[in-house]
Amino acid sequence: MRGVWLVALIPYGAWAGDNLPSAEASAWLQRMADASRHLSYEGVFVFQHGDAPVQSLRVLNKPVGGGKDSRLTAMDGIQREVRCSQGISMSLSTEGGQIKVEKRLNSRHFPDLLPISAAPLANWYAVKLGDMSRVAGLDCRQVELIPKDAYRWGYVLCAEKDTALPLKASMVNETGKALIQYSFAEIKLGASSTPPPAPAVDVASQASPVASERVGVRNLPPGFVRITAVRRKLPNKPGEVEHWVFSDGLTHISLFLENTTQPVETLRGQSKLGMINMLTRQVGSLQATVLGDAPWPAVEAIALGLEARQVAGVSR
Amino acid sequence: MTIHNLNPAPSSNDDALSALVDGELDDGEAKAALKAVLGNARDRDTYREYCLVGDALRGYHHDTPNLTDRVMSALEREPTLLAPMPARSPRRPALWLAAATVAAITWGLWSAVPREETLAPLAANQPPPAGEAGNIMPYLAAHQDFAQAVVAPSEMRITRVSLAGADQ
Repeated sequence: MRGVWLVALIPYGAWAGDNLPSAEASAWLQRMADASRHLSYEGVFVFQHGDAPVQSLRVLNKPVGGGKDSRLTAMDGIQREVRCSQGISMSLSTEGGQIKVEKRLNSRHFPDLLPISAAPLANWYAVKLGDMSRVAGLDCRQVELIPKDAYRWGYVLCAEKDTALPLKASMVNETGKALIQYSFAEIKLGASSTPPPAPAVDVASQASPVASERVGVRNLPPGFVRITAVRRKLPNKPGEVEHWVFSDGLTHISLFLENTTQPVETLRGQSKLGMINMLTRQVGSLQATVLGDAPWPAVEAIALGLEARQVAGVSR
Repeated sequence: MTIHNLNPAPSSNDDALSALVDGELDDGEAKAALKAVLGNARDRDTYREYCLVGDALRGYHHDTPNLTDRVMSALEREPTLLAPMPARSPRRPALWLAAATVAAITWGLWSAVPREETLAPLAANQPPPAGEAGNIMPYLAAHQDFAQAVVAPSEMRITRVSLAGADQ
């Protein structure tokens, strides 16, 4: 809270063009993160990935206790929505009169892009304040998150001038080219609507904790920690695999582990704009696939740092 | 430890082959592309890969063994007969398949299983070699819970690499 007051007392213009001192950077990051969860709002935003067609989505957020209830509804194409409540996230899609419900492992979505504990991100990103702008009829301050190393993409946000709610966000590469962009087209702060609850599904049947760790990871990129490790079934793939996720709070990199009896060909994959990178390789008796919307050095570091571990009772 | 690219650079025919698979070519262009497929071993392999990727995107798997080879053999034996094609759409070649899947995979929010009723298989049934492009869809789909945007397998460029000095 003290950091927020510090931010409020210093004129914006004093920082324009310069990286913020670490304490102020942390305060801005935490303020934007809190706003996306702790405010009531309802609006429509547009989303674009590269040069793909723009999509429109409606978002509704309401704070509940220390968390949030939210609902995200696609306004284009087939009926789809995401509901998040009590830290549980479900996706619902409607086709042919049937509603398909699936549990998601992550309950964050725009404008809730920053982690709950966002202040430590200042260790890995420099924060720079930019000009005032106007998005969806509201004034906002441009806030630039500049990665301090090659292991993460940058962000350019526009934080609403009073609440710091991100009204606009772009993920950018090292040359400043926008990889994905979000922007509210209309928003109502203080909305009174309440998101419907997430439907009950058999969570246990969709993912279970990893019982033993057959792989070790040396040299994770700075700031990255493992946030998830589950066994789950993947779409269009028989059997279960282990799905681990590493994150610095903004960047997420998945590791998929599965048994193999055949030699695994080492393959590198990269999306057209270079935003998503992948490496598949063999680690002991396992096929490991590392995949993330992260720069290649981050995916490479994790993939090359994998090593097989001896697990009691498991033959190799 | 370094990673070396073992794949050759893509040929200028790749876009034409992709457009052929996508049904984006007019009669004359399709004839030229088919001629290239029949006359060049690398283009045949590329065409096969595109077909397999397309089939994987549509959710078709191992129902009829060696269908691709049978189709390719039949193409070699038969004269080229093409039905009239509609005028080329303004969509960009090679993005057709991506669009079909992205309609289901949407920036980390939606179920990613391809809609099986959309199209007939082109070359369904020869399973892609382990780890090839057609096999990465399940990983892209599963990662979408955390991804801010998800791409279709056809948008991923896959290259074989070697891990010099890595523990295998």
